[in-house]
Amino acid sequence: MTTQRKPLQQLSRRQFLGLGAGVMAGTAALSGLDVINLLPAGHDAPAVPRPDYYPPTQFDREVFTLCEQCVWRCGVRAKVKDGRVYKLEGNSFHPHSRGMLCPRGQAGVATLYDPDRLQYPLIRKGGRGEGKWARASWEEALDYVAARMLEIKERYGPEAMIFSSTHNLVQVQFENLLKAYGSPNYGTQRSLCFNAMITANLMTFGLEEPGRDYSQTQYIIYTGRNVLDAISNSEAQDLVAAIQRGAKVVVLDPRFTKTAAKASEWLPVKPGTDLAFHLALIQTIIAEGLYDKEFIDKYTVGFEQVKAATQGYTPEWAASKCEIPAETIRRIAREFALAAPQAFAHPNWRTSNFLNSFQTERAIAVLNGLVGSWARPGSLQPAAGEEGGIKLGAIPQPAYPRVSALRLDGVPWKYPLVPLKLGVFQEIRDNILTGQPYQAHGWFIARQNPVNSLPERRKTIEAFSKLDFIVTIDIGMNDTAWFSDVVLPEASYLERYDPLAVVDGAVFLRQPVVEPLGESKSALWIYKELGTRLGLGDYFQYKDEEDYLRQQLAPLGITLEELKEKGYYRPPLEEAQVEKEPTFNTPSGKMELASDTLAKSGFSPVPVWEEPVTNEPGTFFLLTGKVAQHTQFATHNNKLLHERVPTNPLWLNPQPAAQLGIADGDEIWVESAGGRVKTVAHVTEKIRPDCVYMTPGFGHVSKGLTTAYGQGASDSDLHLTFTDPVSGSQALSQTTVKVEKA
Amino acid sequence: MSDNNPTSRSRRWVFVMEPDRCINCEACMISCSLENEVPLGMHRNWINKIERGVFPDLSTTFLPENCQHCANPPCERVCPTGATYRREDGLVLIDYDKCIGCKYCMMACPYDARYVNEEKAAVDKCTFCVHRLDQGLPPACVETCVGNARHFGDLNDPNSEVSKLLATHETYRLYEEAGTEPAIYYIRS
Repeated sequence: MTTQRKPLQQLSRRQFLGLGAGVMAGTAALSGLDVINLLPAGHDAPAVPRPDYYPPTQFDREVFTLCEQCVWRCGVRAKVKDGRVYKLEGNSFHPHSRGMLCPRGQAGVATLYDPDRLQYPLIRKGGRGEGKWARASWEEALDYVAARMLEIKERYGPEAMIFSSTHNLVQVQFENLLKAYGSPNYGTQRSLCFNAMITANLMTFGLEEPGRDYSQTQYIIYTGRNVLDAISNSEAQDLVAAIQRGAKVVVLDPRFTKTAAKASEWLPVKPGTDLAFHLALIQTIIAEGLYDKEFIDKYTVGFEQVKAATQGYTPEWAASKCEIPAETIRRIAREFALAAPQAFAHPNWRTSNFLNSFQTERAIAVLNGLVGSWARPGSLQPAAGEEGGIKLGAIPQPAYPRVSALRLDGVPWKYPLVPLKLGVFQEIRDNILTGQPYQAHGWFIARQNPVNSLPERRKTIEAFSKLDFIVTIDIGMNDTAWFSDVVLPEASYLERYDPLAVVDGAVFLRQPVVEPLGESKSALWIYKELGTRLGLGDYFQYKDEEDYLRQQLAPLGITLEELKEKGYYRPPLEEAQVEKEPTFNTPSGKMELASDTLAKSGFSPVPVWEEPVTNEPGTFFLLTGKVAQHTQFATHNNKLLHERVPTNPLWLNPQPAAQLGIADGDEIWVESAGGRVKTVAHVTEKIRPDCVYMTPGFGHVSKGLTTAYGQGASDSDLHLTFTDPVSGSQALSQTTVKVEKA
Repeated sequence: MSDNNPTSRSRRWVFVMEPDRCINCEACMISCSLENEVPLGMHRNWINKIERGVFPDLSTTFLPENCQHCANPPCERVCPTGATYRREDGLVLIDYDKCIGCKYCMMACPYDARYVNEEKAAVDKCTFCVHRLDQGLPPACVETCVGNARHFGDLNDPNSEVSKLLATHETYRLYEEAGTEPAIYYIRS
């Protein structure tokens, strides 16, 4: 019933934080005598704490900065005692944290003090993946990296160098570097995540991701999005509050996730068929006249086309596809339309993660449009975009060199509609192998782990073998760094400055809380140093990180010192807020229920049914997902988070488990057409009998991650590569596997 | 050993938990472990997961739990040295210097809330973050709870949030039949 364990040997917090044997200042507070005296005179009972509470400090200092344990980047308040970060808490003034931190954010202390962290530059000795490194000075390492990159540029052209990084605050300078160098080959993680959603929303609304008004919504439909496991801090808070307020939540998911557990209704949809469900919602709402006619006439185009195309998608038809009863589908369509506009079908990240997920995202976007869920209380909201309307100072720089080479990821020559900003990451890896349209020779990776994140890990490692030079920037020896030629240590997020973040009309600062470990440096510093050695110094016209930030802050009339104190600044609103009519950045200027852009490229202008693959008898769909305690592939070496979730057993329904003679905890083999892994079974009712599930991010092969090494199995060893031709999205849940007792 | 401040009114610190809001993210566990220097592998708080049903009729309940700071604590009764004691404001605390590590309290506690802290050479448990209460701060777990499932305050103050919650909701406590008079109330779904 409890999680108490009594190990023979305890690891004290002091030990795992690598602190000295001396008594920490402040531990005396926990001794018996002091405890008696803690109750102060005339002290009022504290109210339950919420935002505007600044406690008196008993620490050396409290520093406001931004978390980096996931992309939500919550505001953090770091408490420092005796030169060490003692505790992290949420910054009440940041709209993403509101004073609270999720488990990964709380565990940031263990990321900072991870004993495996990179402390100085490393240059490979021995073969790739052997783990033999020579320590180098920054001078030596950067000279070497620049020399190799210039060599590649001279011999093969700048396009032979691939640059990839997962979106983060210093991305703007990473992009600066690769554009100045002249390479068109820019990989981000987006095609492994939300290409389907972004492309569908761009086609429909003319923006990437609409906001959601949880505070007044009455009805939410999630299609795979699992907010309560894949926690986005403030969104999880909002969802819990909405449920308590009485909002109805419908969850489509083959798994009984935490979001499904808290929902009003869980629909265990057949994998890949969510599309049918949404097409039937559209059909019902149109057939029964439940759509918002006024909204559609005023703000949309293509209604008649959608109506004609979806006529056959009745709930009865859909039920045969998705295994949700027709009456349930019909009822939900009516409930949703009735609740609208205080209702939204959540855009999710990627719905069912099948090749037809683009169509599913289009259907969801159209569904919201039909009921007028846009820019009204409780509905989808037009989002401000990354700049958030604040004009930051730009660092001066010359124009970029013209790039004539094709992109390795097939955009736009193979994928005409994938936005350049999104790309098709898995295609880059594939074309290193094919050598088409030309052979790549180098890869520069920053804050990213493609060896683990791309499907078919052995293919990625094989692709590495085709490259002359690989350099990785990271804070720890992740699997990608392990196979690289040079590894450059970035300072952790608690030790560095990054470019400003703009959130909800305010500017937020990431600033160092403590000095960087060893010789680790900020990426801002690394890019400038490297850029200068590449002859591109003119593109990095900032003296250091503080100078960079001062240039960014210049138009705002606030000094860096002022910003450092509070960690944020909200510029006064210039004009009065005028209620504007919704506009859509689409070719027609309206919400496009039918899209000419899609039609012109040979795709269906309206959402259309695409039959997903089925699993052969005796095989299961391998689903992917998230847990609250880990972020993708990055947190598994964190001792606190590892303790919470140390491994990733395979979820298996008791019915097929019984047939296969597998009991909970048994060792099993899981095999796909791409590979075979040994893992442990977790027999549970919480999953459909035709599916299995494995939390991604485990099975690290880098011996430089002493906590994470060998823990669990890698889903990348099993996933096959399936790329949707419209959005370039990788279908991460349609690989099928066989399971047998080991 | 009680509140030796003659001017403060006596309090009764309690938790009111809302299991419906708990999402088992375990931020409370990590926050507590760091705040209170809990050794790796030990815990002062945890989430009790209750899963019921057969596919597809399933339900899951998450109950946040810690030491219950009982008004009638079995741990205090059995402690041979008086190391475990209860203050007037309801907190059940440990004088680590007096603890001899006999673990009788661990056997007596029906909530399994205690653990051995080798560094202190004593048994240890949740203290309702007594050191933070002094600063007017809530326990670390309460502050970070993403679902806002943990409410904490003074039951003797009729205007406190916990008093209001108890007045307007049906609640239950764990192992009430054991007569421990725990200080943690759970709001019924």
